[in-house]
Amino acid sequence: MTAKDRWIIWLFLGPSLFLLGLFLYWPLVGTVIDSFYDTSFISPEPRFAGLAVYERVFAGRHFGDVFWNSISWTLGVVILQNILGFFAATLLNQGLPLQGLTRALVLMPFVLPGVVTGLLWRFMYDPQLGLINSLMILFGVVDDSAAWLADPDTAMAAVIFVAVWKGFPFSMLIYLAALQNVDRSQLEAATLDGAGAWRRLIDVTLPAIRDVVLVNIVLTLILTFNYFDIVWVMTRGGPQHATHIFPTQIYETGFGQFRFGEAATYGVVSIMVLAVLVALYVIVQLGANRRRRTA
Amino acid sequence: MKQTASTRAALILLQILLAIFVLLPFFWMFSVSLKPPTEPFAIPARLWPDDPTMANYVTAFRPEFRTYFLNSLIVSGASVAITVTLGLLAAYSFTRGQLLVLTALMSLVVLAQMFPHAAIIIPIYRMMRSVDLLNTHASLIIAYVSVTLPVAIWMLRGFLMKLPISLEEAAAIDGAGPLRVFWDIVVPLARPGVIATAVYVLIVTWQEFLFALSFTSTRNMRTLPVGLNDFIGQYGIRYGELMASSVMVSVPVIAVFFFLQRYFVAGLTAGAVKG
Repeated sequence: MTAKDRWIIWLFLGPSLFLLGLFLYWPLVGTVIDSFYDTSFISPEPRFAGLAVYERVFAGRHFGDVFWNSISWTLGVVILQNILGFFAATLLNQGLPLQGLTRALVLMPFVLPGVVTGLLWRFMYDPQLGLINSLMILFGVVDDSAAWLADPDTAMAAVIFVAVWKGFPFSMLIYLAALQNVDRSQLEAATLDGAGAWRRLIDVTLPAIRDVVLVNIVLTLILTFNYFDIVWVMTRGGPQHATHIFPTQIYETGFGQFRFGEAATYGVVSIMVLAVLVALYVIVQLGANRRRRTA
Repeated sequence: MKQTASTRAALILLQILLAIFVLLPFFWMFSVSLKPPTEPFAIPARLWPDDPTMANYVTAFRPEFRTYFLNSLIVSGASVAITVTLGLLAAYSFTRGQLLVLTALMSLVVLAQMFPHAAIIIPIYRMMRSVDLLNTHASLIIAYVSVTLPVAIWMLRGFLMKLPISLEEAAAIDGAGPLRVFWDIVVPLARPGVIATAVYVLIVTWQEFLFALSFTSTRNMRTLPVGLNDFIGQYGIRYGELMASSVMVSVPVIAVFFFLQRYFVAGLTAGAVKG
């Protein structure tokens, strides 16, 4: 492309940059500004409050719940989804019968709309009518109907389970692609040297797909932290705030209670928490890579 | 790698268990959707109704459902078309324009994927309100195009990077202007990437819930996910109908995905594996 034709770059880029600027970056600035203003249902006119809204949010009854719920939700889903995704990718890469069909079928939850997933599993978890308790009673795991979503002790685990069910196919897809790039001859050499399946996994496969694992975990971390639909449909953050995470709390505070200032404050905090999580993970990984290289 | 017969049997068993884990909820959704509305729920639940019937589908396909479906179709269809078009134009610039500033801009595009929608939705809501666009298809289309663009640009960019640049150079030497080159050479070659990206945008927008819930206020503007969520409050929980509606909401996007899966998988993994 000659310098004379540079205009075309900006012509082609213009609409995208305009939309991203106006509807992603500018609202981000707007949220930061909003977080310094106080609004409520009674006094909808925003009044400048400085850090008062932050103080109120941090001191509020629910901040701790939302913070720790978000952490355990995110870590739970990301870790389980990646383990299960990697396991499924390995299993469906062995050349077993019906491998192609199984791969395709396993991807179905990934495409199933989130609201449908939430409603379906809410029904699955129904204490009387649901399939889960029926099967558990049938197999004698529980003898009493457990209300998985109504009990604050089990609700978070139940919602995490559903998110893993829906999310692991995505991780599997990426791991499957990565496994195609593992050097077969290295695996065979390791086998000849007497390495078992576990050693081959640790010494050959994992180092070969290290970068993909990093990308996959960062991607799922972001997607999971920002999740809204499944949690909202299944529990609305309840019972007793047991499953409220940042997105559901922001929605409820903003659109449910019209406290836009507090919602924005939760929004700013959530972005910072997410940035810290991603940064921590990337730093730890890069550090591990460097140690590995110098070792 | 050689497997002993017993290892192989164990692996096959694991594969079956994995398939059951994934498919059982789908089977249950379908089975309940076929249950006659009059047949009471068995406790404990039964896997298949005695008298399967389509009655729930007939009831569930009420006028509101058709409105929701049409709204979803309009909003998703427009979002797919616009996002893919703008994404391809942007990806072309990012891969072919050799300017330092483009690298910085691309980082901003990638960074924007991280923004939690819940954290930016209120300012967007206010902007839509101030130009009187709330409760319109346009407000949802604008929001959907904006939030899907970063990933779309990223996917298409990964795709265009792999196209041989020599064809474009040859056409330029033959005297084709940059617009000609883009239209006659890049667009046709980019087709698999365009399809992959279109599938991604369709999957995301067909199920989008947060913006649709916040921006639409009347039933005639609701999309399927919001309409489905309303279902619970509106009719009590009539699970048979709810599951029939769920099947009807899910089938289009699952069908499209199955037809175009190989494009999507190739497009997504190209970017992710290359990093």
